[in-house]
Amino acid sequence: MTGPIVLTGRNLRKDYPLNGAAVHALRGVSLAVRSGEYVAIAGPSGSGKSTLLQLIGGIDVPTAGEVEILGTRLDSLSDRELTRLRLTRLGFIFQRFHLLPVLTARENVELPMAEAGVPVKERRARALELLAYVGLEHRAGHRATQLSGGEMQRVAIARALANRPALLLADEPTGELDAATGGEILELFRRLNEDGTTLVVITHDERLAAQAGRVIHMIDGRICE
Amino acid sequence: MSGLNWAVQNLIRQRLRTLLAVSGIAISAAMLLDMVMLSGGIEKSFAELLLAKGYQIRLTPKGTLPFDTEATLDRAGSVVGRLRRDTAIESAGAVLGTSLYGRSRDSLVTLVGYGIQPEAQGIYQMQRGRDLTPDDTLGVLLSPAVAGLLGAGVGDTVSLVGRLDPQVAAAGVSRRLVVRGIVRWVYDYRGQPSVGTILPVMQALASGGRPDDTASLLLVKVRNDAAVPAVADRLRKEFPRLEVYSVADLVRFFKQRLVYFRQLSYILATMSLIVTVLLITTLLTITVNERLGEIATLRAIGIARSTVVRQVFIEGTVLTVVGAALGIVLGLATARYLDSILTSFPGLPAAFSFFVPRQESLVTAGLVLMVTGSLAGLYPAWLATRAPIAATLRSEAT
Repeated sequence: MTGPIVLTGRNLRKDYPLNGAAVHALRGVSLAVRSGEYVAIAGPSGSGKSTLLQLIGGIDVPTAGEVEILGTRLDSLSDRELTRLRLTRLGFIFQRFHLLPVLTARENVELPMAEAGVPVKERRARALELLAYVGLEHRAGHRATQLSGGEMQRVAIARALANRPALLLADEPTGELDAATGGEILELFRRLNEDGTTLVVITHDERLAAQAGRVIHMIDGRICE
Repeated sequence: MSGLNWAVQNLIRQRLRTLLAVSGIAISAAMLLDMVMLSGGIEKSFAELLLAKGYQIRLTPKGTLPFDTEATLDRAGSVVGRLRRDTAIESAGAVLGTSLYGRSRDSLVTLVGYGIQPEAQGIYQMQRGRDLTPDDTLGVLLSPAVAGLLGAGVGDTVSLVGRLDPQVAAAGVSRRLVVRGIVRWVYDYRGQPSVGTILPVMQALASGGRPDDTASLLLVKVRNDAAVPAVADRLRKEFPRLEVYSVADLVRFFKQRLVYFRQLSYILATMSLIVTVLLITTLLTITVNERLGEIATLRAIGIARSTVVRQVFIEGTVLTVVGAALGIVLGLATARYLDSILTSFPGLPAAFSFFVPRQESLVTAGLVLMVTGSLAGLYPAWLATRAPIAATLRSEAT
């Protein structure tokens, strides 16, 4: 527990309608993450991990309960304010990387900064700095389609760090990678956390869970720490 | 990377689809441009033709349009004299149109004859040789077609025959005249065999040698363009037995006759616009649907709806601009080709154009395309902004 609370989730519930009945993806989940923490959320498929990440990342709304990021309740924000919060305070890393294929690695990293209004010169320099941080400065001019899976995930990490987020959210970041490449990403995550980045990672990967400072286990939409 | 560059790269990613869409838009744009040129071009071309030599007013026999019938007006010389004494009028001249024959070896060929007053003529332009003088009773001007039919050139002598006596099939009156020049008759259809002499010579040929002072129409050039309507009104009162037409009057009559033509061009233009809208909407909708995952990711990482909408619009605009640019080139080329076909129809002046490339045609077609191209992006853009982020990312992950 290294710093002030960055993220709070209180009694989060999420139901999905399915064939006229409700599927309870989350059944009252509460958690808090402090600045500088490295939290892994583990559990079997269908346990509600990804749903939880989407709720705390503000890309979905809970059926009940509330989420607070840096003291701001997400349900009090307009769509525009929520989008801005995701842009400037959160960083997302997806299992399938989701880079824009027509853009180069540098342009992908620059994209959130351009949206945030960072001047061209400044964002270009920071994009190159971040690519260097993830070990891809030599691939800055390559399009996403020209990169390997591991390289794409490292670019995605650099993109997530672009606007200096308070919290990095990763959904199965090693899920699409082989063991060796996944290991490189784990090492990068460890280094990120050491450098002060707060991480919440959804994972099946036991190695990733093992290196996290705290592991939250989920089963059937509930936390069982 | 700029939004434009991003859009261009996205379009290049789907090369074949983009190429097909741009081709479709270009064809629609070409059709639209041609129809815009056609709808306003005929009138403009007609007005330019009438003003080819600067004569803004025509006087014809009562109830007729210029050269619309064979009716003639009497005492043409006296009327022209009165017109020339009018201080508002710079020049006035009479024209008699008739049919006559040219002798070619042992046969006669049918010709169109114009009696003109060289000092005030508004119906021909010199190509070779020299013009007639007002008292040149021995000279004649030929169209290139007549020069070919009679095998005559400048300086040669040709024999023209007036009306034939139906009883004996012999010429009532004939004249041997020297070819002074080859001219382009402004109102002739392509290949029309026309000759011109000074008015008294043609009057004699047309009347079989009897004294005659008739003309088919009178041409009037007013000193001040702004005074044309007032002068036309004054002439109507002064010559109640004649029809007085300004160019604007004739264009108005012409427009009435071509109303169905204009309606057809509007319908075709509308259809081409609808095709353009459908093309762009379809392409962008397919593109957006294919990229819903990408759009959801963009939204998840904090890219605003407005940015996503802007990207869809930019892609639509790029397609429209490229398609329109190609369409303009294609439209001008097809207009030229179609014009050559249409103006070869019998009875139409060769100098007449159906498709007149005008700056306002290009601007109108361009603006209409840009507006419709933007509208065509509305539905796909709306679709892009409505994509539910979480649900789309979930479906992408499965």
